[in-house]
Amino acid sequence: MIESEEAQEIVFDALRTLNGELPEGEKVEVGPGLTLFGVDSPIDSLALVSLIVDIEAAVSERLGHEVVLTDDRAMSRDVVPFSNVQTLTDYVVELSKEQH
Amino acid sequence: MNDALIEPCRRVQPGQFVRLRPIRLGDAELTLGWRMSRRAALLNAGAQSVGEQANWISRRPVGELNYIIETTAEGVSVGTLSLVEIDLAGRGAEPARFLIGEEERCRGLPAAVEALKLLYGVAFDQLGLLSLSGCLAQDNRRMLKWHKYMGMEEVGLLERRAYINGREQGLIGLRLSRADYTEVTLPRMNRLIALATRGPNANKES
Repeated sequence: MIESEEAQEIVFDALRTLNGELPEGEKVEVGPGLTLFGVDSPIDSLALVSLIVDIEAAVSERLGHEVVLTDDRAMSRDVVPFSNVQTLTDYVVELSKEQH
Repeated sequence: MNDALIEPCRRVQPGQFVRLRPIRLGDAELTLGWRMSRRAALLNAGAQSVGEQANWISRRPVGELNYIIETTAEGVSVGTLSLVEIDLAGRGAEPARFLIGEEERCRGLPAAVEALKLLYGVAFDQLGLLSLSGCLAQDNRRMLKWHKYMGMEEVGLLERRAYINGREQGLIGLRLSRADYTEVTLPRMNRLIALATRGPNANKES
């Protein structure tokens, strides 16, 4: 199972990787309040996909089986997991609990 | 080239958040600006003046579909996307010139995802193609991740190399089959587009 602190570090690591891919001036501030999509987000759709891919890979490796973050269930929740870093962190923890 | 098949593809391709409309000569200045921006650094070099760009637009061969990505709500041009090397006999083509030039105007919109979905719809559903192939510069890691997430298969380094972004680079080959388009690409695209309808700007484009 993945605890909250570890899940947040997985998300932060993916954001640091993303910053490594972004040009100067487009890098994002890594923190729990970062908005991941929508008009207030500094992240474009290319970057969001990059983030999803890296987090799925890290969580899958950690749990030992494939994990998909963008299934229909995730998209139909009241609060979409990709709203911000905190909601995504919570979703990673929730997924890992279910699959524990 | 089968005109009856390809002519409908030269019309506007409507979507929910964005549409694809054929490029025209009047787009020369705008598209040149995008092509010379930092965001286009990992694409092949192109025209260096508005005149050269207009000349390039006017000389597009019949085997290409070159589109401007426009927002549906405001009709603002935000990027380019093309389908080139269209081979109706061999039933293949290459997506190309994928560039969002007005990122700020696209904030919160699934512009890139929906534009590509519309282009794939042209390729697979309207033209009946069986596969798409293309290549990316090795440095274009984000776009490589993007295309692989969207169902493309990495087929390895191509023999030819290209001078892009100030240095000679290897080119990574990619391929998308019709089966993967149906089973992987479309569901993922639809989910990402649905995500935008759940966001804070959900009603902005309706």
